[in-house]
Amino acid sequence: MTNAIEIRGLVKKYPHFQLGPLDLTVPRGAIYGLIGPNGAGKTTTIDLMFGLGRNDAGHIRVLGLDHRADDVQLKQLAAYVSPDLNFQVWGKVGKALRFVRGFYPGWDDTYCSALMKAFHLSAGDRIATLSSGAKTKLSLLLALARRPEVLVLDEPITGLDAVSKQQVFRELLEAVADGERTVLVSSHSLSDIERFADHVGLLKNGRLLLEGRTDEVVDRYRLVEFFTRNGDGLQSPAPDGLLILRSNENRWHALLDQKSGAQEWLQRQGARDVTLTRLTLEDLFVALFKEEEVS
Amino acid sequence: MTNQRKSCLLGPISPAADGTLYQQIVDRLKREVSEGRLKPGAPLPSFRQLAEELLVSVITVKRAYEELEREGIIFRRQGLGTFVAEQGRDRSREAKLAAARELLSGGCREAAEAGLKPAEVLSLFHEILKERK
Repeated sequence: MTNAIEIRGLVKKYPHFQLGPLDLTVPRGAIYGLIGPNGAGKTTTIDLMFGLGRNDAGHIRVLGLDHRADDVQLKQLAAYVSPDLNFQVWGKVGKALRFVRGFYPGWDDTYCSALMKAFHLSAGDRIATLSSGAKTKLSLLLALARRPEVLVLDEPITGLDAVSKQQVFRELLEAVADGERTVLVSSHSLSDIERFADHVGLLKNGRLLLEGRTDEVVDRYRLVEFFTRNGDGLQSPAPDGLLILRSNENRWHALLDQKSGAQEWLQRQGARDVTLTRLTLEDLFVALFKEEEVS
Repeated sequence: MTNQRKSCLLGPISPAADGTLYQQIVDRLKREVSEGRLKPGAPLPSFRQLAEELLVSVITVKRAYEELEREGIIFRRQGLGTFVAEQGRDRSREAKLAAARELLSGGCREAAEAGLKPAEVLSLFHEILKERK
């Protein structure tokens, strides 16, 4: 089995939003970054995977298990970390640990202690008085110490300082170090995703816009600057693969998909002084999602 | 595991430095080889070990190793790992020379655009060499 998560034709309808039809593939052993603007459907997708809400069509398979028919087994193998999880009812960290530990035969005490140390948590800490960053670390610890096959994290680094963020990613890299375990992480921290995630998927309005190896996705696009003759616009509407971002008289800035024929099209249009600039995942994200404002 | 055992094998990499992270890894490894700190036959860390050390994705390291393998600087033995090639030092020296040549010709272009004559470029270059001593 080469894929840890396979989502096919997934649809969930709400009065003002529809997720899907969504196809998404997370290879085994990957750290997969699920990104997209607020309201794109990231949390809806993750919630459906764990049986929170019922999908209207399609299916989700995690390690070959159906998310509805095999939900108990799935929840044994897959862990879910969300900013909405609240462990305050247990009072102290130690009590929460003892409670959660009981559910999972794969719980690793040695790893748990190491994580406690790395995350500066102690059994005696009162959960209610932990900082929001420490609460995030606690929910991550509770998931990691189970040694899950698949770890799903919804916005795990929100509210963490730079040092803590790096610690979290170090632990995630270690968690996938055996090549068998898989992490799916949704985040708005795109520079982190670009550095740590080997695969990315971009969600927009409930659909998957792009998916693939992070380096390939980023490398496929360039910011392009070109000039047209004074007073000339572009002779025909820009093709797919060329997204005009700004123009000023005869100077144009656009996003270019190098796998499309858009560069040849530009040449046929007589564009001059064409320069290509590499961009980061964050630049790409902004260019792709600002589209509506321009047109 | 969670305790930080950094082996500090490579020069640091950073998104703020020139080139993509994978190119930086290629550069840093080449430097280790060409300066003789990594000798022919020496084993390299696994993708995953180096990814953890450098805090980058496994794919980034894999891509860097693949490029170094194509250039003949390292080689892979199935099940054993990755090693510095016998001719790795020469190869990475060649690569360094090619890079130096490219940078110098870029410098010549800039100098020409600034209106320097060939003799002036040469004396500028001598000046730089003297400063570095």
